Amino acid sequence: MKLFVTGAATTKFGELWNASPRGLARHAVFEALKDAETLPSSVEALFVGNMLSGMLGGQEHLGAFFAEELGLTVPAFKVEGACASGGLALHNAVNSLLSGQYTTVAVLGIEKMTDHKPEDVATALMGAGSEEERSAGATFPGLYAILARVHMREFGTTEEDLAAVAVKNHLHASLNPNAQFHNTLTVEQVMKSSRIADPLKLLDCSPISDGAAAVILSIHKTQRGVELSASAVATDTLGLAQRKDLTQLAATRDASQKAYAIAGVTEADIDVAEVHDCFTIAEVLAMEDLGFFPKGKAAAAIAQGKTTVGNGKHVVVNPSGGLKGCGHPVGATGVKQIVELVDQLRGIAGKRQVSGARVGLAHNVGGSGATAVIHILKK
Amino acid sequence: MQSPVKIWRNQKNIAALVGKTGTIISWTIVRVPPGDFTDQAPYPVVLIEMEDGKHVTCQMVDYDVSDLSVGQRVITIVRRVTHPDADGVIPYGIKAKPLV
Repeated sequence: MKLFVTGAATTKFGELWNASPRGLARHAVFEALKDAETLPSSVEALFVGNMLSGMLGGQEHLGAFFAEELGLTVPAFKVEGACASGGLALHNAVNSLLSGQYTTVAVLGIEKMTDHKPEDVATALMGAGSEEERSAGATFPGLYAILARVHMREFGTTEEDLAAVAVKNHLHASLNPNAQFHNTLTVEQVMKSSRIADPLKLLDCSPISDGAAAVILSIHKTQRGVELSASAVATDTLGLAQRKDLTQLAATRDASQKAYAIAGVTEADIDVAEVHDCFTIAEVLAMEDLGFFPKGKAAAAIAQGKTTVGNGKHVVVNPSGGLKGCGHPVGATGVKQIVELVDQLRGIAGKRQVSGARVGLAHNVGGSGATAVIHILKK
Repeated sequence: MQSPVKIWRNQKNIAALVGKTGTIISWTIVRVPPGDFTDQAPYPVVLIEMEDGKHVTCQMVDYDVSDLSVGQRVITIVRRVTHPDADGVIPYGIKAKPLV
């Protein structure tokens, strides 16, 4: 059975103090329905990707909460998998169509983070880590800093190499009207930004953001529909201490291998990828674990501009600006990645269009790599 | 969220980990901490390989900056983790200090 993303939309990402979760959800889902040229009554089920509504907002029961706001009384589910909640919600939506239960469903990814102070957000996000990591006072920048130091030691990756990831993603974000940041950066600016968790600095880190994204997924092909040809998930240990190899995220490798096999493609076929650059080191790891570059070779290639829009031949990575430039409302990110790929494959991405893009890959990670979700879309 | 029952249940895990030696395999300095740790920041968090090959993530204390290096030998000790909550039970846990 073939599945199609028939409609896709995001809100603007950023510090949206005027916007409520209800308003963001309405905007994303109704725009996606308009894009799909269909009515709310065609939605047979709603899948919501969200991580922090309970811990930060005191609101759970999000399936019914957002169904009510959208004027629906259909089956509705919240799917949680830390920062991979959006990708996991989509995976569950895919399964529901493949099972024959529904024919058209809506997937909403949403997060409202800037209503709360950074320490409270950091505490809530650590819910994605292990008990041992929480007792250590670790943070997610801290855990990725530990991974960064291993990579630097093993492969000679430098802090400047990592900074180049943020520079590229801000350049892409400057071309994306919905991105949180529109300022470009230099390596020097990243290097001089304040230290968050050594060796990671402020501008190595994705921001705290608000936003929502939605897609309509259907078994019915439409004229503008984009085929979703693979959806795969893998998991790993919650904590870094239980991992055998700290130079890779094994879940990324495992999920991508599954997805390539399901879609009948190899990494060489991917024209455009939206990957989970929650920290600059995470994009370096993703490039290697997805098979785009051999281990230890990705950082220098990114710094040379090999994955920047307009590069001509190699896969372009994070044309939306990624998590770093576009923003990272955690539950929304995995769905926003699909929206960007749909725009790219339809050829309507404007100044950040990857020319001739036919195959796109989305890579969404939860925690420090305990969940990885891969989706592959084809024109 | 802290809970006296959870703290009590965790005691046996602490006993099994204390007084063990190992070496640092990676480290960071957390400068923007979670809410419960604001009065301790900045502080190092280290990933240690213990003698038995197991890895542990914990905070490092009683250190000089020069002790923050891969290969540095450390020993695990019991320390207070954060402030007690309204129930008054003090949360203890494992931290590491340099082995001299």
